Amino acid sequence: MVQWYKFVLYYLWIAPHALLPVVSVLMLMRRLHKSFPVFFLYTLYETLGFLLRFAAYEIGPGPWYRYAFIVTLAGSTALRFGIIQEISNHVFHGYSRLETLATASMRWLTGLLVVAAILSAIYSSGSVSDDLMAGIALLSRSVAIIQAGLLLFLFLFSRIFGLSWHSYAFGIALGFGVFASTELAVSALHLTDLTEHSKDLLDLLPTGSYHVSVLVWLGYMLATEKPVGAATYSVPEMDQWSGELERTPQ
Amino acid sequence: MSSTIVFILIAFVLLVLFAYLATRRTRDLPDLDRTVTAIRSLDMEAFRNLVDPEEEEFLRASLPAQAFRRIKRERTRTALIYVKELSRVSLQFARFGGAAQRSPDPVIAAWGKQIANSATYLRLRALDASAQLLLTAAFPDLHPPLRSLLEQYDRATCLLLNHNALRRNAIRFP
Repeated sequence: MVQWYKFVLYYLWIAPHALLPVVSVLMLMRRLHKSFPVFFLYTLYETLGFLLRFAAYEIGPGPWYRYAFIVTLAGSTALRFGIIQEISNHVFHGYSRLETLATASMRWLTGLLVVAAILSAIYSSGSVSDDLMAGIALLSRSVAIIQAGLLLFLFLFSRIFGLSWHSYAFGIALGFGVFASTELAVSALHLTDLTEHSKDLLDLLPTGSYHVSVLVWLGYMLATEKPVGAATYSVPEMDQWSGELERTPQ
Repeated sequence: MSSTIVFILIAFVLLVLFAYLATRRTRDLPDLDRTVTAIRSLDMEAFRNLVDPEEEEFLRASLPAQAFRRIKRERTRTALIYVKELSRVSLQFARFGGAAQRSPDPVIAAWGKQIANSATYLRLRALDASAQLLLTAAFPDLHPPLRSLLEQYDRATCLLLNHNALRRNAIRFP
């Protein structure tokens, strides 16, 4: 293995998982573990999962590493769905009338995305080898389709209705959006006939995007949520607005 | 290979969209001037007349059927422009309320929550009304029920006025 590649691979693998505990600590300090319990659990789970995978890799990248990878990936995938639900609860909290519409729309969209994922998996299954990792790539692609679709829906739906996001919820969703989009492209590429060299280079992409996601989470956790807009308007400005409204014919 | 290209393209578009939404978020802060200008530009009385069922009945009774349909189509198209503007105003209301919701002052936060909730419902009603008016433009004999939209507009603006009055009193008589 070329020296630079090994260095970059290790860096992209270790760095985000070294930063995730910082995200967990920041969440504890800001008491965000109470508002986002699933995401908090995810940061802890990912850190422990990394330690397990790293240990298995150092022992020897054989079946032990594969098992560790599959088991931690399954848990991680389930937690990501939980986080999307958690973000959705935060975004629609307090908007009682809209919440019903959003919940129903999300259910329908999930159904459609599952169908799209299954159809694309069936379409691709003929050209995919029987290898276990190819099967996992196919499953990852299906999961990425659903998760990216749901996150995009959350962003667009809230934008249509002018819903305000807490910056923490926005940061968490944005990080997952970046990761799910890259995962979609990477898992699709993994299902093609690539040379060993190309596969090695491709391995850098998901770890790289995960690094970006962790940096996004870290950035949003470090930034304090500022009260914006109306909260800072002075009373005379509000009075002017009232005056304008009173002049509006009723 | 073709499906792989499709997935890569979708992933790329998604990444661009997420980046766009992240950058827009900082620019989408509620603008008081824009909201006031939008409210000012709305002539609600004219809109009420346009969608008044009694006026429609009067036109139906006094005009030949073909002329009535033509005029109804024109009135519906004009009403649609109003509803679109109302929808835009409701978005400004919602953003304004949403921003106030994050105030450290619990009174302003509660006020913001009510405004945001009312504004999102107004937006929902406006989108629904747009769809109904589009249908009415195609089939002039339909009667789109727009009363709830007008009621919701009144409710949202009244809420805004009442809460600002409360806020004023709270500052005058702490």
